[in-house]
Amino acid sequence: MVRWRSVAPMIGQTLDHYRVVEKIGEGGMGVVYRAHDEVLNRDVALKLLAPGAIDKVGRDHLLREAQTASSLSHPNICTIYQVGQTDKDFYVVMELIEGRSLTELVATMALSMETVMRHGVQIADALAHAHERGIVHRDIKSSNVMITPEGRLKVLDFGLATRLATEEVGDLTLSHDSLESKLVGTLPYMAPEVLRGQKGDHLSDLWALGILLYEAAATVQPFRGKTGFEISSAILREPPPPLPAAVPHGLAAVILRCLAKEPAGRYQRASEVRAALEALQGALLQSRQPHPSEETRGPRTLVLRGMEHLTVKNGDVLLMVGTNKGAFLLRSSRERARWDVAGPYFHGQGINAMAYDARNGRHRLWVSTNNVMWGTFLRSSDDFGRIWTNPLEASIRFPTDSGASLKNIWQICVGREEAPDTLYCGVEPAALFESQDGGESWCLVRGLYEHPHRPRWMPSNGGLLLHTIVADRHNRELMYVAISSGGFYRTEDGGATWQARNSGIRVVFAPEKFPEFGQCVHKIALHQSRPERLFLQNHWGIYRSDNRGDSWQDVAHGLPSDFGFAIVMHPHDPDCVYILPVESDEFRCTPEGHLRVYRTRNAGGSWEALTRGLPQKGAYETILRDAMSPDSLDPAGIYFGTRSGKLYASRDEGKSWKKILDGLPQILCVKAAIIQMDGAPAPKRHSEARPAAKRKSAHAQNAKRRNRR
Amino acid sequence: MMQVIFHIPGPLREFTGNRGVVQVEAKKGANVREALQTLFVAYPGLRDRVLTESGETRQHVNIFVGNENVRYTGGLTTALSAGAEISIVPAISGG
Repeated sequence: MVRWRSVAPMIGQTLDHYRVVEKIGEGGMGVVYRAHDEVLNRDVALKLLAPGAIDKVGRDHLLREAQTASSLSHPNICTIYQVGQTDKDFYVVMELIEGRSLTELVATMALSMETVMRHGVQIADALAHAHERGIVHRDIKSSNVMITPEGRLKVLDFGLATRLATEEVGDLTLSHDSLESKLVGTLPYMAPEVLRGQKGDHLSDLWALGILLYEAAATVQPFRGKTGFEISSAILREPPPPLPAAVPHGLAAVILRCLAKEPAGRYQRASEVRAALEALQGALLQSRQPHPSEETRGPRTLVLRGMEHLTVKNGDVLLMVGTNKGAFLLRSSRERARWDVAGPYFHGQGINAMAYDARNGRHRLWVSTNNVMWGTFLRSSDDFGRIWTNPLEASIRFPTDSGASLKNIWQICVGREEAPDTLYCGVEPAALFESQDGGESWCLVRGLYEHPHRPRWMPSNGGLLLHTIVADRHNRELMYVAISSGGFYRTEDGGATWQARNSGIRVVFAPEKFPEFGQCVHKIALHQSRPERLFLQNHWGIYRSDNRGDSWQDVAHGLPSDFGFAIVMHPHDPDCVYILPVESDEFRCTPEGHLRVYRTRNAGGSWEALTRGLPQKGAYETILRDAMSPDSLDPAGIYFGTRSGKLYASRDEGKSWKKILDGLPQILCVKAAIIQMDGAPAPKRHSEARPAAKRKSAHAQNAKRRNRR
Repeated sequence: MMQVIFHIPGPLREFTGNRGVVQVEAKKGANVREALQTLFVAYPGLRDRVLTESGETRQHVNIFVGNENVRYTGGLTTALSAGAEISIVPAISGG
């Protein structure tokens, strides 16, 4: 038996720079604590290995395994940050994962087959990543798989948990007594060859994946028994019991192939399992039988969505396009001459906000999906749209005491590089939410929500919304937001307090023309190389501030209209700004049917019309506030989408334009990003503002369970 | 205790293991809100899609007991009898 010392003395102690906070779980190898990383100011999971485990397996061996596992970097694998040892202790520091294990999910709710496949694809992808690097898990089981509140799946304990287990397999199969040990939970996942005493390899991981998928689809494990002998005997000799009729034939076939008794009869690679499950995902809709009550409810359209996804390479340009009927993704090489298109994702839903988060080695797409019936959810993908999270519960929600309900998410803003788990969302009704754990949990920024001005903010045409979040990359306490109609607000203390800064910005819809607040600001822009200067598109008026918003000057010299929505900075030139004027608030279309981008290269001193390639006759277009975006290449690319569903691109900083897509639904947002893969040299960074804030996190309160083992 | 039956619309069956009809056990004399709470415990993905975080039925979701929209019978406090059939139905809307 493995033994470890009493838990209590560990609480409050510090190992290296990790302060142990509380015990959150325990397993065959030791105890898991929540600890606080005092250097990086974040919570982590710290697994303190039991002395017995170290004695049995050997310190050097454990260290080597943990170090190997720490080389894995995959969105579905719990990241190991550090392995360490003191005189007495050997410990592993890893990502703190909040959520529920697959075991708990299967026990409490019926998973749809679509969910089973989505989880299966992610586990298979994690295994493929590890196997390609020569790392075998050896203890795949549903309790080692966590589903975060955001719906992301994480495989725990790569290369860690089972060295001991495999050493003890011999004992287990021979002794009834040992079945009382911690290893009982693992036995039902053991492959026949492992029970015969062979060391587990990548094919025994695939067997365990088959058991796990069977369990998720049927809610029971295939090989059961009252004793270890009965379970072992079933694993070695009996075929898996038939799966329930609700399990699609294709999924059943994948599971049974994983459960071939002879390793040679199984899939030979995890990537084959992934590919098989992905193919089934597309076909699931076709095989779904309509419920009898559906058939009596009138005609139906069955759209078979065999979607082509993007294959994205390092250095590619990615365009995220949100429409009122779904999201589209486009990719191109750096030449930006030809674009591949994928979508629509989230059929029929309004996509007001999208973002790309490349911090900390991620390739995460964020999207807010607004279903007019079923509400707004924040979702993400780590593989450029193949799999999206689908959280059970909304992660952004107003606290009960506010009495408010989320209507829409208008802006998703990734935080500074130095705070890679910080994100912000601007929502309707106007409020700012913050996440400090990579988007798993969110808190209302009370300093702004409880501002005394709030009761007098007025809904604009689109509602009362916080649609723009901009922050100073150099000063983590400084951040700006824009609210329609509330105006421009600034915080200098990381969000604790906010001040209206609208001096000089005109209001046309109230008797007082220059009030302290209440302006209908449409968008703001900032270049990080000149952080004291801001540009602002108002509901009538283009403004510039040279003092972080303390005062504003009208810079709409010679424009055909100073009404408009979108305003973006050139990525490398802080004096260069792009806008798309529309005629008026009554006739929100491009003036006189000319589709013209206007550019200033002297910070608003003068403006020039950019027309080459854009229609100059009968083009009554509207470009919404988030529907224009620059990329960060040189020469810069500028992209915008129209309400009529046309997508235009310039790859020469606006000199010439090309329509790259037509016939989309109303375009609500366009975001461009340059993809940077692991280990590749960094291309020039996108200059979009990155906000900063530091406050005590209240996320712990939201946590249900963490890194349970 | 009493049994009540929920009819789940197609878009939400992802959260009920593809079941279109779900039977739950509610306490005797339960109202719609209490029966929904029982449903949400079994199928947690439904809660935030049917109700707002302040506990109101979403604007474009209708809940029927039998053939009657609960908007006209006391909303979520509408009392249920054993065997009641509750339908969650998306409203006519779009754009």
